[in-house]
Amino acid sequence: MNAIAIAMKVRGVSRTYRDGARSVAALEGTDLDIPEGKFVSIVGPSACGKSTLLNLFCGLDMPDAGSIETPALGSGDLLGRVGYMPQQDLLMPWRTVTDNAAIGLECLGCDSAEARTRANEYMTRFGLNGFERSYPSQLSGGMRQRVAMLRTFLCDRKINLLDEPFGKLDAITRASMQTWLLDYWQENRCTIVFVTHDIDEALFLSDVVHLMSPRPGRIVLSLSVDVPRPRKYGEVVTSARFNELKSRLLASLGKAS
Amino acid sequence: MKSGVGPPLLLGAGLIALWEIYVRAAGIDPLLLPPPSAVARYIVQNAGLLISNGASTLAELLIGFGSGVIIGLSLGILMQTWRWFREAAYPWLVATQMVPIPAVAPILVLWFGFTIVPKAATVALMCFFPIAVNTVDGLSSVNPELIRLLRTFGAGPWAIMSRAALPHALPSIFSGVRVAMALSVVGAVVGEWVGATHGLGYLMLHFENRGETAGLFATVAVLTVMGITLFFLVGWVEARVIPWRRYAKENP
Repeated sequence: MNAIAIAMKVRGVSRTYRDGARSVAALEGTDLDIPEGKFVSIVGPSACGKSTLLNLFCGLDMPDAGSIETPALGSGDLLGRVGYMPQQDLLMPWRTVTDNAAIGLECLGCDSAEARTRANEYMTRFGLNGFERSYPSQLSGGMRQRVAMLRTFLCDRKINLLDEPFGKLDAITRASMQTWLLDYWQENRCTIVFVTHDIDEALFLSDVVHLMSPRPGRIVLSLSVDVPRPRKYGEVVTSARFNELKSRLLASLGKAS
Repeated sequence: MKSGVGPPLLLGAGLIALWEIYVRAAGIDPLLLPPPSAVARYIVQNAGLLISNGASTLAELLIGFGSGVIIGLSLGILMQTWRWFREAAYPWLVATQMVPIPAVAPILVLWFGFTIVPKAATVALMCFFPIAVNTVDGLSSVNPELIRLLRTFGAGPWAIMSRAALPHALPSIFSGVRVAMALSVVGAVVGEWVGATHGLGYLMLHFENRGETAGLFATVAVLTVMGITLFFLVGWVEARVIPWRRYAKENP
């Protein structure tokens, strides 16, 4: 394990929020290593601090205690240097598909015509061919999610944080999006931190799955998913190894909550 | 607006016909209520007079409205950008709307004389407020999650304002602009009433003093048509500036 480079090194991170008079400990003493170029999932019950963790990872928030080191990125403010895809697609209704996909690059200082050209190069790969000039309200949920994902991936970050990206999709769209995401990731290896509360989804996608305890959140179990790639959804989720890992996760989840 | 101009025109024609029939049948004194035919005749015979005075009013109105839009938008953006400015300025902006405009207008005439300035200023004074309020409302209702997302792309305050907050606020801003356009007609007339030598408002006083009721009605008719045209012009501009609204069934 020592040979694998670490993209993000989390040590003793705590974060407490003030909610009126009372204070809520979202994270307490969280340790975590995110290996470079791996697909890492963080699962846990609702409100266990998963989103708090991602906010810290992308620089939107600062820990009260502990440190987050990013050897892959060097030191300094993380804001603007880590890819982030929030739960809501947050597409702007006044921008077309192309313009929505290009907004990240634009904000990073890329010329807007150049950003659009680059966005359009990926339309086919993201299944959006022919919809470049459509407005978000004309798209299906799965397509909106792919535009949001393109917006994040277009920035070409070494580390990308995905916060329950398929949470609002129906089961069938969800399965096809998972397969699609894996294919894409296999072609363009980057470090992915994927937050979900769906254990099947985490196991199917990831190299490593970290389980978080309910508030205050800590990592209580880390599992390596030694299922060979490329993975086929139907084969993986019905395999003995998958179910063995799943029951270990479920057992820990039962203990933790 | 989508159902076309047919039904409203039909209703208008019907009401005018009823008015004509009523005046003739009941034998109303045309000095109290002239029949529409008399008003129409007056408009045709005095088209030059109405057009030249209408042009003065239109100029005052457009200059005042344009200034009102610029002032209202700027104040809205400033109030949204600096919280302390909003807190300090808001009560005073409300105060400007509590002072009756007909009371302020003579003071403006006193300062700027019988020029176009006091009329345009009266219009601007009435226009800026709904625009400023709607701009603040629109800017402050932008999804905070969207702002956070843009920050992860390295966006600063200016990029967030120009790429997220302002486009998001456009529909709300246009609601304010439409109200302002309706108010600006009132503003121009009031501005002329307190001191003018030209314009439709001036003409109204002139006809009233001389008991020319048909002329008074003709002036009001011209003023109304002007106001309605300008109001729908704003809608036309809005549809071009906000093309996505046609498709938007939901607002994130």
